[in-house]
Amino acid sequence: MYEIDKSLLEKIDALELSERNVAWRKAMKEAPWRVYVDRERLTMASWHETEGEDLELRTAKMLKKVMDNVPIKIHPFDEIVGRPTTGVIGCQTAINVCGDYIHDIWNDDGVIGVTLDASAILNKEELEVLREAARLFEPNCMPKRTYDAWHALVGDWATQAEEAKLRDPSLRNGITGQSTSALDWPNILPAGLKEYIRRCEQHIEDYIASGGTDVNKVYFWQAAIITLQATIDHSRRYAALAREMAAGESDPAEKARLGKIAETCDHVPENPPRTFHEALQFMEMCSLAKMFENPMQNNSHWARADQYLYGYFKNDLKNGVPLEQIASDLADMIGRWGTQTFVSDDMNKETHQINFGINNVMVGGLGQDHTDMTNELSYLILHVVAKLKLSSPTVGLRWNNQTPDWIMRKAIRTNLETRGGIPLFQSDEVMIRKYMDWGIPYEEACEWRGLGCVYPCLPNRAEHYGAEGVAAYNLAGVLHLTLHNGLDINGVRTGIETGDPRSFASFDELYEAFFQQEKALVHKGLWLGAVARDVCHQYIRTPLLSILGIEASMDLGQDLTKADPDHSMFGVSDRAIIDVADSFVAIKKLVYEDKVLTMAELMDALDSNFAGERGEEVRQLCLRQPKYGNDIEEADEMVRRVSDRSAEIIYAFDNAPFRNMIISREGLAWHYFGGLGAGALPDGRPALEPLNDGSLSPMRGADKNGPTAVLRSAMKSGYSSVCCAAVLNQKFNSSLLGSPESIDKLIAYTNAYMKAGGSHIQYNILDTEQLKDAKAHPENYADLIVRIGGFSAYFVQLSKGIQDDVIYRSEFEL
Amino acid sequence: MALTALVSNIQGYSIHDGPGIRTVVFLKGCPLRCRWCANPENLSDRVRVGFLSNLCKHCGRCAKSCPRGAILPDADRRIDREKCDECAKCVEACFYDALVRYGEEKTAEEVFEQVRRDKIFYDSSGGGVTVSGGEPLTHADFVAELFALCRGEGIHTCAETCGCVPRSAFERVLELTDAFYFDLKLMDSEKHREYTGQGNGQILSNARFLADSGANILFRQPLISGVNSPEENVKATAAFIRSLGREDLALQLIPYHRMGTSKYAALDIPYRLEDMKPMAAEEVEAVRALYESFGVSCTVSK
Repeated sequence: MYEIDKSLLEKIDALELSERNVAWRKAMKEAPWRVYVDRERLTMASWHETEGEDLELRTAKMLKKVMDNVPIKIHPFDEIVGRPTTGVIGCQTAINVCGDYIHDIWNDDGVIGVTLDASAILNKEELEVLREAARLFEPNCMPKRTYDAWHALVGDWATQAEEAKLRDPSLRNGITGQSTSALDWPNILPAGLKEYIRRCEQHIEDYIASGGTDVNKVYFWQAAIITLQATIDHSRRYAALAREMAAGESDPAEKARLGKIAETCDHVPENPPRTFHEALQFMEMCSLAKMFENPMQNNSHWARADQYLYGYFKNDLKNGVPLEQIASDLADMIGRWGTQTFVSDDMNKETHQINFGINNVMVGGLGQDHTDMTNELSYLILHVVAKLKLSSPTVGLRWNNQTPDWIMRKAIRTNLETRGGIPLFQSDEVMIRKYMDWGIPYEEACEWRGLGCVYPCLPNRAEHYGAEGVAAYNLAGVLHLTLHNGLDINGVRTGIETGDPRSFASFDELYEAFFQQEKALVHKGLWLGAVARDVCHQYIRTPLLSILGIEASMDLGQDLTKADPDHSMFGVSDRAIIDVADSFVAIKKLVYEDKVLTMAELMDALDSNFAGERGEEVRQLCLRQPKYGNDIEEADEMVRRVSDRSAEIIYAFDNAPFRNMIISREGLAWHYFGGLGAGALPDGRPALEPLNDGSLSPMRGADKNGPTAVLRSAMKSGYSSVCCAAVLNQKFNSSLLGSPESIDKLIAYTNAYMKAGGSHIQYNILDTEQLKDAKAHPENYADLIVRIGGFSAYFVQLSKGIQDDVIYRSEFEL
Repeated sequence: MALTALVSNIQGYSIHDGPGIRTVVFLKGCPLRCRWCANPENLSDRVRVGFLSNLCKHCGRCAKSCPRGAILPDADRRIDREKCDECAKCVEACFYDALVRYGEEKTAEEVFEQVRRDKIFYDSSGGGVTVSGGEPLTHADFVAELFALCRGEGIHTCAETCGCVPRSAFERVLELTDAFYFDLKLMDSEKHREYTGQGNGQILSNARFLADSGANILFRQPLISGVNSPEENVKATAAFIRSLGREDLALQLIPYHRMGTSKYAALDIPYRLEDMKPMAAEEVEAVRALYESFGVSCTVSK
């Protein structure tokens, strides 16, 4: 617990964005989306130069080649420098990692889809660079080789299951190779990269002196040294550029700005930062290096920034650095990665919808001494995020019983100002308890942070969540399999034969068939993951991410792409539980209890997608069955049963020799993707439409008893006892949240839910008319952020289907 | 036979109807007919069927379901009120919630069973249950039974009242009610009769009774431009409140809004304030300040 300077909080409340913050934001909004091919040009050159060398060293040299030569730029509004491209917005491609993953490069028009709805244009020469890279890297890239290995094991099943949206992600998303966790900021900053180089050199010396024979370890340390030095050198390039620009500058203010950049970039990240400003510059260079190594690691992930940056913050204030300067630097850097786009693979476009880097920042939360660590910097972070009104960073407030009201008030006000569920609230206590249940000591568990959206992870552990193509299983797709005797949405038998549901004599038969399907799907998926784990390491390495991301890499002399039992966590997600449970209730009642329909009648309606008058009648019958989210025992109990049983199935698989799987049920924009994997469902949802957003949100329009009834249903779900990260989205009307009392009431509401064991909640504060107008006139709403299951995005950038979804969600009167 | 009341709605997470997070229970039946009433579905003490034309998809199921042939083919006006006996079969038949039934017969136990579910939210916010309407004290025995059950679980109780009920109704609930939200609509009794259908003698007398009994009271005034906003009424209202001789008595203004008008259309009831405009925030503030100048602590409802 910190002693809080309340007068500092008042000063923070009065802060506005600095001129350069505003200039940057304006430039960012006006900048065209561009795809840059500089990096890929250099990866190819390096790859040719290092032919025949060890993969670890080749990867390191590739990063050095890129960082030594990629064009750089200092913008007029930059005081902290470093971007992936020379554009204010820009993206580098990841063909050396993901192979031939950008299918658009084979079209001659040069139009590259960056999201489902937005694109960038390449000229002929640029297009040819990417094509050449695809030809060069595809044959031996990690996804291609892994898909080959999968094919050898299960034939076409792996790709068929992806095509049926039964499991994701695709290996082409490039996070395969493990770990997207935050860099080890609390240790890197006080040491400086020069010290890390020294330690690597020491390891090499000691290892050789001790008679060690595993040359791979030596290669790793050597590779790490190359990448660390390349990061330092990249910073020096900025210092040199700043000096050169300063030389030709006559304006003294400009000269001073550039001089400071030069001085800072000479000092960090080689040496430990002395100020808050230097710490942010340090972090930016390391984040850049991580991105250049693998552009799919396109985030800065600050994690518990209010903790490890607090000392610099307080020290600066003591030394007379103006609060305005600190806030301006913070605003600049906390949002910068949110302006860096990337080209993702086709599946990722459907599962995530967004295409910019996510900086995940946590505020508050319990510390080593079991007290809440919220401080003035937590407050400043919320303040600048509210002022910026950008959809990134993702900010999570770690709620616990000691969370002070003053930070809750700031958090809700930030929600109001961003209108986009920033910050979201996550239960510290549920998270820490879950980790401790999994055998992690408190000291480590209390340092948990979010990854991307709400998936929790621990420092210094490689996260295998999403790696090896194993993350999510689509239970709505599994229900589709069950209702069609193992045939998926594409009519392919990716499931097992569990019988024609028309022949089931009881609801229990159907229920059991469903879980047989799930078990078969998960089992096969985990097989694929095991294969991928072995194959990936042969084709991809990340020495820089390893040395700065996983403390143990240094001592082990080991790249994190080699899964290590002592330093790895494995996550999976069983999604669409609510859709399945609501469907089960409808079948149970309509067919087996009330006998309003026969199974044949229901199936006919589903297979015709509720066509015709009879179809509509059946659909309405389905919709009128009890639904989760209304505090109706029958519906909520089914959610709990499905949740528990699904968790039981997953936890029954051992993951030897690794730690057991952890179930995480977050949302992303996955419900759009998941919906493409299921035909019409017995809960009344038409074929291919998005599923419920979030993992604990009620079906769209089905929650009719007000927001507290939704929470009461959620409390009965039992999610907190079987998984971490349950996502509950609630949308509130902004016009009725204007008074301090109403903000206090929303705090009391949040506190009550969290105290009762809720693990996550976030609020969209919007009104329907505004959203409809935004859909019709996107040009007037470029600022508008919405939150979808853990991510936030610009409303106008979402696909039309998701926009409708956001609009449709029932709006509670507050 | 357990005591029942017609309940039109039980609304959770209500935050403008008393302290904390509240559940508001709307009971049907009201002795007044205020022209500005925003809840016309609760005026009648019987079940009413309403039609929300914007939700109608013209499937015709309502017509087929009606035993009295009371369904009209109109897009806007669906119910032939002459023929309709409010059996609500059409509400059952409607797939799209375009036909709605106002009024469910419930016992106090049943209502309590709903209300108690939000106990954790009351506890964390200092909230509780509020009875509203209609005029809830036309069901004083029911309210007393409900409040007694709430008291048993430590749930805060509040009654919103127009005051136009016999003294005995207040006596019945007095000990069980933690707060009264008491409307003082107009001080001139004739004008009161003109706009609400009743004079205000009984109302003022009840207000004085409550004040003398030491009850916790917040006076409220729906603020209607030109009707009760002129200085004359402000002055008289302030004088009345001060005459009650209690320092803690305050007034809350509820600026007129038109949110209820769609319900009039749904019920085929003419709206008699068609030309009334909501007051601008500055005008409301001026009235509030005026109350303060007359020595009455005054706030504006959000």
